Amino acid sequence: NRAKMLRNLLALRQIGQRTISTTSHMHFKNRVAEKQKLFQEEDGIPVYLKGGIVDVILYRATMILTVGGAAYAMYQLAVASFPKKQD
Amino acid sequence: MTHQTHAYHMVNPSPWPLTGALSAFLLTSGLIMWFHFYYTLLLIAGLLASTMTMFQWWRDVVREGTYQGHHTAPVQKGLRYGMVLFIISEVFFFAGFFWAFYHSSLAPTPQTGGQWPPTGILPLDPMEVPLLNTAVLLASGVTITWAHHSLMEADRKESTQALLMTIALGTYFTYLQLSEYSETSFTISDGIYGSTFFMSTGFHGLHVIIGTTFLTTCYFRQQLYHFTSNHHFGFEAAAWYWHFVDVVWLFLYISIYWWGS
Repeated sequence: NRAKMLRNLLALRQIGQRTISTTSHMHFKNRVAEKQKLFQEEDGIPVYLKGGIVDVILYRATMILTVGGAAYAMYQLAVASFPKKQD
Repeated sequence: MTHQTHAYHMVNPSPWPLTGALSAFLLTSGLIMWFHFYYTLLLIAGLLASTMTMFQWWRDVVREGTYQGHHTAPVQKGLRYGMVLFIISEVFFFAGFFWAFYHSSLAPTPQTGGQWPPTGILPLDPMEVPLLNTAVLLASGVTITWAHHSLMEADRKESTQALLMTIALGTYFTYLQLSEYSETSFTISDGIYGSTFFMSTGFHGLHVIIGTTFLTTCYFRQQLYHFTSNHHFGFEAAAWYWHFVDVVWLFLYISIYWWGS
């Protein structure tokens, strides 16, 4: 019984060694050259929008959140500054 | 003459300083609304807005450096000075909390029972989890140096492994600290001991989380082939920050956990 366990353990160890050496990380390809071409295109677009439509969406979302939020914060502070009288 | 006659990088006009400042306003007014009225919407908006600002700002720095080639040697020198000055400012930030700790612990008042630790305070045993935490961070200092040397020798596999080990050790530290926080018999409101303990270790823990995030970003950039064997300042900045976090812990451990117990 113990010999069987040891044999299984050794087999498991071999499998573990095999898998680790081949697929331990996601395989990324080197796309730096493509990115360099995209971001060096002389189209006048500023770097914060140059990546494409996702940049524009993120930019708009951030502006709406911050500018809208700041206006709302000022409104809340104004309300908090004039507490309702208790009857 | 339409080109510049100096070496410095003139960045495109950017909206992120504005959104960053507005996010800070949302964070501070959000804290007020939470403290006084238990109202969290503004604070959540502030946290979200500041995260989005940081993501896009640093994304743009990567684009300007790795994709547009703006990080020439003189520009990189400026970035190095910048990181050094930032870390120095953080040293001063922690110095304040250490000052507070030593002010109260070196000359205990009647309010603390004339002793340190104050009467009734049961400090954590410095030879238990805090000592393990010290070993974890020291080991992470070794692994990140290993990662750096592997990177400089263009050994992709070892560099990635060592970086992952550093991140794992940083995460382990955070997990251990959180479990220690649940084990303390005292809270932040337990007098000056509680205040100095949790403000110091709390801000340190936050910096460990920030450092771990920075290292994780480096891991993904490494996978995307952003770093070369002789140009990888983002990685070096992360390593400097990580060593700083380690050194702060050593001061914390010796002052608060060991001497202060």
